[in-house]
Amino acid sequence: MVDLETIRKKAKEIVSREDVKHLIGWRKGTFGYRVTPYWVEAPEDAEELVYSPLCNTNLATSLTLAEKLPLPKGQEPDRRKTALLVRGCDSRAVVQLLTERGVDREQVVLLGLPCRGVVDLRKLKDSYPEDNEVADAEWKEDKIVLNVSGEKKEIPREEVLDDHCLVCRYPNPVEADETLGEKVEPWAEESHPGVEELENASFDKRWDFWEKEFERCIRCYACRNACPMCYCEDCILDRLNPTWIYRSNNYSENTAFHIARAFHLVGRCVSCGACERVCPAGIPLGKINQKLVKEVREKYEFEPGTDPEGVPFQASYNPQDQEDFIL
Amino acid sequence: MSEQFEPNIVAFLCNWCSYAGADLAGTSRTHYPANLKVIRVMCTGRINPLFVLNALQQGADGVLVSGCHPGDCHYMEGNMYARRRFRLMKDLLEYLGVDSRRFHMSWVSASEGGKWKEVVEKVVDEVSEIGPFEQFKREKINW
Amino acid sequence: MSEKVLQKANWSSFVQALADARELWFPVKDGPIYKFAPYSGDVDAGLEEYAYSSVPPKAVVLPQTETMFLYQVGDKETSLPEEKKEKVVLGARPCDARAMDIVDRVFQWDEDDPYYLENRNKTAVIGLACNEPFVNCFCTSLDGSPGSTQGLDVLMVDLGDKYYLRSVTDKGSRILGDAESALEDASGEGSQAEEIIKEAEGKIKRSIDTEGIREKLEEGWEAPLWDEVSRACLGCGACTFLCPTCHCFDIQDEVEGFDGRRCRMWDSCMFGEYTLHTSGHNPRPSRKERTRNRISHKYRYYVEKFDKIACVGCGRCITSCPVNIDILDILSRVKEEL
Repeated sequence: MVDLETIRKKAKEIVSREDVKHLIGWRKGTFGYRVTPYWVEAPEDAEELVYSPLCNTNLATSLTLAEKLPLPKGQEPDRRKTALLVRGCDSRAVVQLLTERGVDREQVVLLGLPCRGVVDLRKLKDSYPEDNEVADAEWKEDKIVLNVSGEKKEIPREEVLDDHCLVCRYPNPVEADETLGEKVEPWAEESHPGVEELENASFDKRWDFWEKEFERCIRCYACRNACPMCYCEDCILDRLNPTWIYRSNNYSENTAFHIARAFHLVGRCVSCGACERVCPAGIPLGKINQKLVKEVREKYEFEPGTDPEGVPFQASYNPQDQEDFIL
Repeated sequence: MSEQFEPNIVAFLCNWCSYAGADLAGTSRTHYPANLKVIRVMCTGRINPLFVLNALQQGADGVLVSGCHPGDCHYMEGNMYARRRFRLMKDLLEYLGVDSRRFHMSWVSASEGGKWKEVVEKVVDEVSEIGPFEQFKREKINW
Repeated sequence: MSEKVLQKANWSSFVQALADARELWFPVKDGPIYKFAPYSGDVDAGLEEYAYSSVPPKAVVLPQTETMFLYQVGDKETSLPEEKKEKVVLGARPCDARAMDIVDRVFQWDEDDPYYLENRNKTAVIGLACNEPFVNCFCTSLDGSPGSTQGLDVLMVDLGDKYYLRSVTDKGSRILGDAESALEDASGEGSQAEEIIKEAEGKIKRSIDTEGIREKLEEGWEAPLWDEVSRACLGCGACTFLCPTCHCFDIQDEVEGFDGRRCRMWDSCMFGEYTLHTSGHNPRPSRKERTRNRISHKYRYYVEKFDKIACVGCGRCITSCPVNIDILDILSRVKEEL
């Protein structure tokens, strides 16, 4: 793995470069287990960087979040690069953005970090209630060590790690200018937690499950906004003419919203699980995305965000694509 | 319901093959079920999955997407993209609990009036079997 | 004002008595969260484990989607939706009730909003005082308290094996009257309740001194601070949708066949298209302006209009923010840096 001092030192070095505007990493939050994305502007800011199992946001999202506003007359755009700390999933998101021309490789500096998985706050809070004290955590072999005001607790990883991370296939960055630390091995063989169970249920059982989940949705669009792949400037959900999906909150519109959201991620989802972790209503969005990830991989042997030279899945085809479902 | 259930099926047909195929079936005076509401589009590649979703929301009991055979597309490859897209759309709908018999895709060329009849009969039969679509149909909720 | 005691053994008959007299709304566990839903007969769902509802009870009086009127396409006639029923909300936290009081002013300061006011006037709120404040509670900084009665009709305090109930308004007394059979007269439990509330007040850890924030917000309009605090913002609506005092809505027409309705639904100032003009111009083009607006609305604009801060310190926006944008952190920086 990698120690914090190495990351901070390297970050300082990168931020000091003339062609780099800032470096995006994480720093401690204001309470409990929270960690927030952090923009390192000056070398001394790098001292605040943290890297722990609590860093549960996908930083690739920050690349597309910044609004492209028209500049005041006479002002030159800032063409310096953005540096980014990337783990496996962040780097896959960046790679997928590269293939979609959402990001210019020349404009980003990627500092790779191996990752042993991030915690699912909901799981963690269930067993270890959150307090005002800002906590810290670290990986230790196959355990997570939680440090709340000096008191250390070793927790087995299955208990608190996000489901996506437990079966992550890419714990190391797939694309980076430089990777710090030693490579790590995936925790487990590939699987799609929760998907098989639903696949084996009857149609009615599946719908019973999803109807309840979708009905709870409050349509805050946190899942869309937290997703590194959802960066359309003009999203179908914000469009009014035509209004494909009504804004009223009920199971019909919510279902349509969730199908549309998931479908826009076919062959693009990098399995980081950010959508599920941010959902204030606790909808298991990962179960939908993982189903599609699984189908795309099994049927088309395609894995998004692994090949910077690749072609986006839905913008390509193979004449031999299966068509057994076609009448 | 004593009357037999007559399903409401929305069919998106590509202008160059399937629509002409359906036309041929008509001019050849072939008899086939009249449950279809046909919407003509230029190519299956133009069919947004939201069309399918919206049809289901607005009261369709089944949806059929039909286009040219692979290699025959008027725009060279539109149906190839559609094939990928709707394969996964079908998987997703099924995964959420929509019966697999509600959504179909077919290749019908301009000369296949006979095949068109068979496809329509099969789709109508299957949708009739499962009955009306009510899962996420738009209805007056809290109106 | 009447003071009553409810033995926990009588809980289900109390709930049933409330539900018989009015439409009862109750915090219901839905998946991992609590939200208020009409009572469905499941009496076992007591208030023992309930901490606070993720979706505040504002959703009872200002539903996420609300029909304004109905029409037929091509017809000039319109009709109104069904009249609203008399409701009682059981188990709202005192801060959420104070929030309703704040929202009330908005909906009647120039024109009366008939939809909201009808709902609000027909709704009675039975509040449950907090014995254990939550991580991000800071109500005491905003003139609130775990046992505040503002906006409440009845205050309920958990005394372990029983609840102490005190009506605050006439409506509250009537409600307690309806459920009289399940209640006993109080004898000295009131002081016990006061103690519990006092103790709870002491347990609140977060705070902010609101003195001077309004002026600072006015002065520091263009401060670089806004860039820094909004940079991580995802632009989602979790903070505003879950805020008990946020009340913005959007009006839309929905048509099913020939049946149409005009309805309104929650909108969020954190969304880009909230301020987007038809021309394409957006006066709040980035998350910086939107974050500034969210804070300024609560701590400056509302204060200028109603001489009161439009925040009750429930801490939901802090807890639910996916990237830990903390309103207390922003406010203390506003005080220090502007």
